[in-house]
Amino acid sequence: MRAPDDTEIKAGQTLLSVEGVSLSFGGVKAIRNVSFDIKKGEIRAIIGPNGAGKTSMLNQITFKGVKRKKMRPHDAATGGIARTFQNVALFKSMTTLDNIMAGRTLRMNKNLFWQLLRFGPAEREEIEHRRKVEEIIDFLEIQHIRRVPVGRLPYGLQKRVELGRALAMEPELLLLDEPMAGMNLEEKEDMCRYVIDVNNHYGTTIALIEHDMGVVMDLANRVVVLDYGQKIADGTPDEVKANKAVIDAYLGVAH
Amino acid sequence: MLCVKPYNWACKIFIIPFWEMWELPDIFVQTLWEGLVGGTLYSLIALGFVLVFKASGVFNFAQGIMVVFAALSLVGLHAIGVPAFLALALAAVIMLVLAISVERIVLRPLVNQPDIILFMATFGLTYFLIGFGELIFGGDPKLMITKQLYIPTGTYSIDFAGGRVELQKLDITAMVVASTMVAVLAVFFSKTRIGRALRAVADSHKAALSVGISLNQIWVIVWFAAGLVALVTGIMWGARSEVSFALEIIALKALPVLILGGFTSIPGAIVGGLIIGIGEKVGEIYWGPLFGRGIESWLAYMIALIFLLFRPQGLFGEKIIERV
Amino acid sequence: MFYREAGQFKTTYRGDMTVFPILQDRIGIIVILVVAFSIPLFSSNFMLHAIMIPFLIFALAAIGLNILTGYTGLLSLGTGGFMGVGAYACYKLATVFPEVHILIWVVVSGFASAAVGILFGLPSLRIKGFYLAVATLASQFFLSWCFIRIPWLVNYNVSNAIEVPRRTLFGVHVTGPEATPQARYLVVLTIVVVMTWLASNLVRGRIGRMWMAVRDMDIAAELMGIKLLNTKLLAFAVSSFYCGVAGAMLVFLYYGSAEATAFSINQSFAVLSMVIIGGLGSLLGSFMGAALIFMLPIMLPQLMAAMGLPIQSATAEHISFMIIGALIVFFLIVEPHGLARLWQIAKQKLRVWPYPY
Repeated sequence: MRAPDDTEIKAGQTLLSVEGVSLSFGGVKAIRNVSFDIKKGEIRAIIGPNGAGKTSMLNQITFKGVKRKKMRPHDAATGGIARTFQNVALFKSMTTLDNIMAGRTLRMNKNLFWQLLRFGPAEREEIEHRRKVEEIIDFLEIQHIRRVPVGRLPYGLQKRVELGRALAMEPELLLLDEPMAGMNLEEKEDMCRYVIDVNNHYGTTIALIEHDMGVVMDLANRVVVLDYGQKIADGTPDEVKANKAVIDAYLGVAH
Repeated sequence: MLCVKPYNWACKIFIIPFWEMWELPDIFVQTLWEGLVGGTLYSLIALGFVLVFKASGVFNFAQGIMVVFAALSLVGLHAIGVPAFLALALAAVIMLVLAISVERIVLRPLVNQPDIILFMATFGLTYFLIGFGELIFGGDPKLMITKQLYIPTGTYSIDFAGGRVELQKLDITAMVVASTMVAVLAVFFSKTRIGRALRAVADSHKAALSVGISLNQIWVIVWFAAGLVALVTGIMWGARSEVSFALEIIALKALPVLILGGFTSIPGAIVGGLIIGIGEKVGEIYWGPLFGRGIESWLAYMIALIFLLFRPQGLFGEKIIERV
Repeated sequence: MFYREAGQFKTTYRGDMTVFPILQDRIGIIVILVVAFSIPLFSSNFMLHAIMIPFLIFALAAIGLNILTGYTGLLSLGTGGFMGVGAYACYKLATVFPEVHILIWVVVSGFASAAVGILFGLPSLRIKGFYLAVATLASQFFLSWCFIRIPWLVNYNVSNAIEVPRRTLFGVHVTGPEATPQARYLVVLTIVVVMTWLASNLVRGRIGRMWMAVRDMDIAAELMGIKLLNTKLLAFAVSSFYCGVAGAMLVFLYYGSAEATAFSINQSFAVLSMVIIGGLGSLLGSFMGAALIFMLPIMLPQLMAAMGLPIQSATAEHISFMIIGALIVFFLIVEPHGLARLWQIAKQKLRVWPYPY
């Protein structure tokens, strides 16, 4: 499968739309009436200065033309959304393999009885999913750490395993919360390549929160910019770069 | 007499107990008093838990056995001929030694470990202290040296509503001592330099370290404070009944108290203790007979459990916010 | 030297997923099983009755608690209560329906325990960590109270204790006073082996991963589509099932009769210490922990006597308490994953011997 180019995306089918989302913690308004959409097959970046409400935005997202006031985590998973976290949220004492296998939980359905016996159906199911997981492991080039508890891995690899776990869910929409945070240049380049590959190879729609402007401008098809919980710009990377409000938000403005 | 047959059970649960309270107010007041005193002792144990939990995030399962251990040391020292007040001072020294060894041997190597690991370490400590205590002092119950410490005994009888309410002088002393101790601790933690350092540590270990607060020192201090609280609790409790290892199980009642009061709140520990103490006494006297007595053993936990379902953070606890 | 995996390659996922991927381990486990089943041929009655039977039963209880605390991360102080539910349920069932075979009831009584476990596990959705530990304490004290106060549970026996009826299997007494240690041992061993095997299947598969995911990071687990409440309740159910069967076996195949004190909070503490010392999240560790905790007080006087320091049994008990306590702290500091992890490290060293890595 091939990722659609910009013109196709503009015309494309909307996978998710966010309409008038607001969120406040006590008296602090984290997000004020933000609306934007994500089209099928695109890489959509959400950027903004620290504390602009990006992660809160991600925590609130709704999905797939189905209108929901609030989405429970479980519904998100069954609905086809997978995400990674700003501070890696892996299952630390489980191996890489188990972590990614855990991502397939929803797709496995053999009941307690067969699980206990582990003969026949349960074993066949396990092998079938193991094959899928091994594909992902190959894709992300993490074969050598298959049996290592992820808590012992360096940060960059943990991020990669987390991406693998999200991919194992075969999501329609993948939410990446600062996938490059705390990485060195080389790791960032690797990660960028994986994000593009995921988009190309699996055709997964990706919503990306990121600080690194270079990364965002190179990766994203379209960018939405938040500042103090409000949307200040929305468009292709080039449009956003030229936007006055964005420049002010990032570089500061003389009062 | 009051209950119509079809509604018998509901009547027995919802009407008769209250009617009894109203009809015989002297017994009711006596029950409340007993509950209050029991509750004070729960509060004291819970206070020891809170001190340690606040400063080190350690859920100190060993607080109960520390109470037993402190009381046994006092009684044991006196039994080999040490004068009562010297024995009291020495028992305090023993608690200091215990605090230092716990910090050196258990806490320091386990710094930054998950909470559950630290909890289990204190579980191990409990085992160790049980074995150690029984080895040195023997497993049989002992009498507290009440007279030698000049703790008043005897009763005040007060005429009340046509009946009599009996107040043990011992219990009154216990309540006075307990409130004094809470007041002293409160002043200590809010007004002194160490108290400030302690509150800083409670908020964040790392941040406290970075401004030059010595974690190790703080831990020794709070464990010592918890040890002193344990000693006082041990004396009071021992004077009411006797000093035995069974106390260690009773001390677990401090856990429901903590649930009511929250793990980090000193006033919470006090109020929670009183609620649990009174609640279980009243429950036992008025509702116990319906269930065949002995509901005291679990009523406190059930109260806490039901309470938890509605307010998971406790009476005075802060709302729990989880971040990813 | 003999312990090499070189040349043992896996060509199928099936082969890679077995419990013992290395040939030497497979031979090892077969040898252990053969020895275990043939022990009655050459060992004394005392050895079987006083050591092997309770060791296996406690190992099963430890597996039960390990499923809850080690795998799912839910701290429980109520193991003794759940074991008691199994024992009392088994007694009621066996006396009300004497025509059904006793061993069926031993296993079925696990379901009663599982049901109670689910009931007391319900608060686990709203409360976590130490708060949940208090909820399990509630179950422990409540159940203990029930065992003492509800005479119906013991068929109104004057002794207020469970009196194990006589039952046979293939014409051989397996419960009651006439049952030989040999017969009881074989029954216990069979049940424990089968249930351990089932548990190992469970923890390696989807359900085991769900448990561990909830333990390690519950919010992320939820976003994988894992339903927290169901997963936790399942852990409570399976765990209590194991504890219940262990409790039923404890009374029917070991004690012979039991009062409520057999399932007091001290029993809960003992099983918890087995799990901690053996290793959280390890089935093998449950066996090691049970062996250590149970055998220490028995072996200690003999050991001391052998060293020329005879001690009284009461002193031995106190010292073993101290040793257990010290060991718990020691393991938590040195190796939080307990004996099981030490064993793994030893195996790894053997595997690469004589090279360091």
